[in-house]
Formats: sequence, structure tokens, C-alpha cells
Amino acid sequence: MSALGGPKQTGGVQSPTGMGIAIGIVLIIVALVLAFFFAQMAGLIALVGIIIGGVLIGFGVHFVPVGGAPAAMGQAPGIATGVAMLAAGAGLAGLFGGAWAAPLGLPLALAGGAVGGGLLMAITCTMVNIIYVFGMGIPAASGKVAKDPITGDTFPEYKSQGTEGHGLPFISWVGGVIGGALGGLGGTLIYLELLDIYQAQLPTILDTTVEQIAPVAISLAGVFAVGMFLMNAVLAAYNITGTIEGPHDPKFKRFPRAVIAAAVASAVAGIFSIGLLELVGVF
Amino acid sequence: MEEIVFGIGITALAGALATVAGAAEDTESDIGSQGDPNSQVQLAPQMGYIHRIFNKAVAGEPPAYGLWVALGAGLAWAFMAMQINPILAIVLGSALAVFVQGVYATTAYLGRTASLAKFGQPVYIDILKSMTTVTMAHAFVAIFTTVAMCHLMISALGHPFPLPLLGLVWGIALGAAGSATGNPFYGKERQYQEQKFGAGVPISASGNIVRYAEAGQRNSLDNGFFSAKLGGPASGICFGLIVFFELWRTVVFEPLAAGWGAVIIGIVIILIFAIIDRYIEVWARKTFGPYTAPEEASS
Amino acid sequence: MSVKIEAGAGGGIPHNQLVIYGLVGSLVLIYLTYLNTITGTQYFAFFGGLAAVVALIWGTDTIKHLCSYGLGTGVPSAGMIALGSGVIAALFGATTGIAAPIVTIIIAAIIGAVAGVMANHVVRMDIPVMIISLTELAIVGAMTVLGLAAMACGTFEFIGMITGEISILGFAVETYEFSLIGGSIIAVIFMLGAIAIQHSFNACLGPGERQDRTLMLAAECGFLSMITVAIISFAFIGFIPALISLLVSVIGWIYTYTQYIALSKRDAYAWLDAQPILEPKGGA
Repeated sequence: MSALGGPKQTGGVQSPTGMGIAIGIVLIIVALVLAFFFAQMAGLIALVGIIIGGVLIGFGVHFVPVGGAPAAMGQAPGIATGVAMLAAGAGLAGLFGGAWAAPLGLPLALAGGAVGGGLLMAITCTMVNIIYVFGMGIPAASGKVAKDPITGDTFPEYKSQGTEGHGLPFISWVGGVIGGALGGLGGTLIYLELLDIYQAQLPTILDTTVEQIAPVAISLAGVFAVGMFLMNAVLAAYNITGTIEGPHDPKFKRFPRAVIAAAVASAVAGIFSIGLLELVGVF
Repeated sequence: MEEIVFGIGITALAGALATVAGAAEDTESDIGSQGDPNSQVQLAPQMGYIHRIFNKAVAGEPPAYGLWVALGAGLAWAFMAMQINPILAIVLGSALAVFVQGVYATTAYLGRTASLAKFGQPVYIDILKSMTTVTMAHAFVAIFTTVAMCHLMISALGHPFPLPLLGLVWGIALGAAGSATGNPFYGKERQYQEQKFGAGVPISASGNIVRYAEAGQRNSLDNGFFSAKLGGPASGICFGLIVFFELWRTVVFEPLAAGWGAVIIGIVIILIFAIIDRYIEVWARKTFGPYTAPEEASS
Repeated sequence: MSVKIEAGAGGGIPHNQLVIYGLVGSLVLIYLTYLNTITGTQYFAFFGGLAAVVALIWGTDTIKHLCSYGLGTGVPSAGMIALGSGVIAALFGATTGIAAPIVTIIIAAIIGAVAGVMANHVVRMDIPVMIISLTELAIVGAMTVLGLAAMACGTFEFIGMITGEISILGFAVETYEFSLIGGSIIAVIFMLGAIAIQHSFNACLGPGERQDRTLMLAAECGFLSMITVAIISFAFIGFIPALISLLVSVIGWIYTYTQYIALSKRDAYAWLDAQPILEPKGGA
């Protein structure tokens, strides 16, 4: 880190400050009240859906095994890219599947989104291991734990000298798939809630049919889902300070902080997305 | 039935386009040392290793490709709105997006290198002249194929997203798949070719990247030639499989079980990949063997 | 990427001054696009792009301040959170008609401040400039989106962004599909802003970073984004207004790009063409 200071890297998890929690609770309540005021029960349900979606994204990012720059040199386990961006790749691929299945109903669309995100991560993580094993001759070894919690494989004797481990142990693979699935689920949930709101409101405001307005509703919901996804993913990435090995990493225990932050940020961003159409034609 | 056969054809074509896109994307980013291996190209001069490698730090690959593909798709959409035929529109859109990519690449190299003046790293202007064009050519292949794939998804398979939004989604996914698969191969196997094979790079060796080639001095075109042998194709297979299975499970199995068929098949595919991954992991552990004797406690 | 993030030594324009220039400049320039509505033409669309350029220069300096603390994750993520919150604020603001730019700034400040409080007090980044930086970045993101959107379709009002015209067999038909939002061009603007806002500092970071060079690159990124938006705007506004936008952006881009190259040449250790590696004295 830079000489100017920065986040404290000392051990343990610093719990959120009282002020942070209090502001968060107040903001969520205000947002819920406003949502009810804007669009009655439909608005309230939509905002709750958006908050849950944001929480799922923030939580899901913690599962994704990302090693950052050292992983590209086989110096640290995980996938060699940025955590927010990898999660975004998986979550948005899930959004693609979820949006496609949207006409089939909420449960199916959500399941489609989750499977889409999980599928991307499953294939990507497998290819990462293929490259490590067949391209570089390096077996997987975690640096944070001595034993894989799922398979019971031991790691210390497979770790190269002078590194923190390398490759993707099976627990990280599973974590990646769960993370991708949660991201896809959360992104799709935000998209569907916003789409419902816009498809209900836009035709009455503009005096047209749902079919005519569909491109606008889909684009608005899609862009906002992407925007909120990135906000939540970046907050979660800040929480884990860039790299994490997966659910077995000690950093994983920090997730409650990201869950609170994601809930509040999604509530505030969500209320403006829901209230978007309230002012059309007023001015 | 005919509709499904048509859908499978489009799915296969989209998967093939995605494979080409993934391979071109990884080769492009490795020639430019974009993404995570960039940190070593940046670090080397600070450790006293002056080099002639292209240092194109635009952003991580996922956001960068999110922009290139979304931009290509947006320009193509605009040209189509101006009544230009789709194929021409996609080519023109991709070409303009590549122009933006090339400009970003040059400014990134100049900026990073000029900021390293303290360590005696000069700006080699011939790197810009010879390598920017090569990365632009690869980027054009990646952008064109991805935008074409997105256009197929909309016009032939009926996905509801407009073209630019779909471009953004698949561009980020392309960057994520390409950087995840291709980066370690370039970062470990090429930059640190002199280190032991079959082991990670010791942290103490950081910055000591290979700077001399078989003859003369290594430049980034040598790196592209190397990545194109395994890292690029593997990234291509990764992205191709992602796109293919994502479309295939929907096109073929959505009619089953009121739509749940697609979800079930998706889960089955994930489980199959879990088995493949576990097999590879165990194979590696057995074949490469433990590097040190297991400790008493771990029996 | 976990490159060690270093900013150059102080000097140059103080940050607070840049904030004021950026805020006032982008606000005034966005309002100049309202001349389109007043005069009933589309010739003034390019002012939206200039507003984005001014905002990006300000945002670059903010990112430099924030990222010099070391976030643990790359510089690009700051651009993502800026535009993620900015796009929501910009589109919400756009629905308020003539008040749009001001409402956009207020909404963006709220979203950015909430993200900052969460980052500092819940996620415990404990970075002194976090809250103010994320607030500034959200405003910059929102002004960039609003400015480029106004440039593309000639107005910063929501109704103008969701309606477009397409000629079918020679007849002009009003449609929602071929509009800025209906066609998701807003997604392109989102990514253009997200990369442009972080690129300048990300590209120039290092011990030799100099403010004038970084800010010149920010302007270059802004004009480069303007070029593409100007090309897209041919689909929405008349031929002559779009051509004016394109000319303004190309001229601005050529000027800033050559200036940036000149500044890089000034700061570089050496400027060599086809020369071998200069091994440092005493060997590596």
C-alpha cells in the first residue's frame, strides 16, 4: 500500500461503526416509506426485491476465488483477474439468461439467472485448472488452509517454495460456482423488479401499449441492473481488499459488512430507480 | 422441430464466433501485457530490468472489453438505425471501436512509461508503431465476432436486450473468461520462462521478467506468438463453451418441463464440469507428486 | 491489478479549485445545450460533450486523490462505482425537465455520499477522503452520462431520450425503439464514461506522474468519447448538427492527443526509436 496510509491491514475484523449502522437503518426505512409512497405495495415489493438482489450480489462476490496479479504468476491461488469484474462477468451472464427467461415467470427467470452465472464460473474455473495443470504443470494448493474442507486434500506438500499457493483447489471451484450463481440470481432479481415497475407505469404515462414501450423498459431495467451490480460488487471488493480464495478464506468472515453496505446502497439506488417515472410530465 | 434445428444451428454458429473471439481477445491482451501480468511489466524497471515490452494498461480486461464490444455494438446499432445493412454496420462499428482501442493503448503505454522516468525506462516509440497495429487487428477480430454473435442472439434467437446492452454483457463476460484463462499462462510461463517449470514464481523473483529473446531482444510480438499456442485457444474454448452451453440449454431444453428443462440441464452441465475439474486436480496431484514429504500431522 | 499506486509530488492546480471549475463548468456547458430547445434547432448538442470533458478532468483528479490511499483493488473499480451510481442519478435527473442538471447533481451527491459512508463506516475502509471522493465521483459520473446523452440526442430531457424517429419507406415514424434509451445507447455511454474516468490516472500512475499530463489525458479521453458519441448521434439528430459535433470533437481530440504526446515526451526518460535496451549503469 502507499505511504499515505490506507485501510488498516491488521488482523481481525473491524466491526461497522454505530454511526454507519444507524445511518444504514434510517436510510433503508426512509427508502421503504418512499417506495410505498411512489407505487404503493408494488413499489414496496420491488424495493425489497432490489435490496435482496443487492445483498445476494454483495454476498456472492465473497465466494469468488480471485488472486489478482499474483495469481497470474502462480504466486497466489485463485483466478487472475479483478474480483469485481469477474463477479460482474458471471452476474451479467446470469442476467442474460434471466432476462431471456423473464416471460416464463419469476421463479424460472431467477433459476435461469442463477444457472447462467454458475455455468460461466464452472467453465471458467475448470479452464483455469486446465491451464495450470496442462500448461504450466502446477497442481492446485491453497495458501490459507492446510486441508480442503470438501475433499480433504492436503496442500502444504504441493505448494511451491516462495509462493502463497497456486491454482484453484476444489473448494475454490465450488466457491466460484456459488458466487456466480448468487451474482446471477441477484442481478436478475433487480432487473425483473425494475422491469415490472416500468412495464406497469410507462404505458399509462405515455399512453401507449406495453409492446411499444418494451424496448425502453428493458433498457432502463437492464442498465440500472448493471449499474447497481457494479456498485455492490465494488463495495464488496473493497470489503475483501481485492483478493480472496473462496469460502474457506479467513477474509470470508468479513461478509456481514458487505451485506449491510450492499443493502443500504441498493436501497438508496433502488428508490431513485423506482421513483424515476414519478416526475415525468410534472415539469 | 424446424425451429429447434434452426436454433441449434445458430447456437453452434454463436459458439464458434465466441471461440474465435476468446482466442483473439487473449492474444491481444497478452501482446499488450494488459490485465494482471501487466503488474510485472510495470514492476520490472523499478527492479532495474529495463525492457522493450508493450505496457498497455487500459483497465482490467473485463471493463476494457466491456467498452470495446459495447461501443462496437452501439455504433453498429446506430448504423443499422441509419438503414445500413447489418453486416456492413457491424464491420464499421467494430472498426471504429478498434480505433478507440488503439488510441487508448498508445496513451496507456506513453503514460505508464513516462511515469517510470525515475527508473531509467525510456519510451521506445517503435513499440507503438509496430505493436499497436497488431493488437488492433486482434481486437478487431474479437470485437467483430462478439458483436456478430450478439446480433445473432437478437435477430435469430429473439433475446429481448437491445444490441448495445447485450454487447456490454458479453463484452464483460469475454474479458472475464479471457483474462481468467489466459493470464496465468502468459504471466507465469512467458514472463518468467527462466523460472522452474511446474512451480509458481517465487515472490523474490518478482520483476525479473525475461527481456531477451532467442535472437536479440524480446518484444511483445514474441509474446503473442507464444500465447497463441495455448493461452489464446484455451481462452477461446472457455468463452466458446460458455456461450454455447448457455444458448444450447435454453434453445433445446426450454420447451421441456414448462421451462425447467433448461435449468435442470444447466445444473447437470455444472456437475459434469465439477467432475472434470476434480479429475484434473487429482490427476495433477498424483502425476506431479508431492514436492515435499507430507508432514506427520496431515498423514 | 495490485500495482503499487503512486502519485507524483504535489504542485499544479489545487484539487479544490478543480472541483469548482469542474462543477460550474459542466453545469454551464450542459445548460448551453438547452439553446437547442430555445432556438428550436439541434446545433448546440456538442456542448453536452464538452460538459462531459470538463467533468472527466475533475473526476480524474478526484480518482488520483482517492486511489493514492491504496484501495486494495484496482483503479478501474473506482470508475465503475462512479458510473454505476452516476447513471441512476442522471436518468432520474433527466425526468425533471429544465431542472435536470441541478437535480442530477443533488441525486448523485446523495447516492455517492451513501456509498462513501457505507465504504468508510460499514466496510471500514477508514480512508479520510472516501466519502467526499465517492460523492464527487458520483456527480462526475452523472454529469458525464447526462452530457454525452444530451450530445447524442440533442436534449437532456427524458422524453427526448426515449423517443426517436425512423424512416420506413420514406415516411418518418415516431418510435420508442430507435431512441437513446430504447436502443440502450445509454449502456455505451455508461462504459465510455467508466473507462474514460479512470483511464487517465490508471495510465499515468507511477512516481513520475505529473498533473498537467494526467489532466491532458483526461481531456483526450473525453474528446475521444465525444467522437464516438458524435457518430452515434447521426442516428438521432440532423446531419448538419451531428457533423458540427463530430468536427468539434475531432479537433479537440487531435489537439489534446498531440499535446499529450508532447507532454509524455517531456516527462519520459528518453524518447527512442528502434534502439536496444539501455541497461542501467552498473548492470541490473
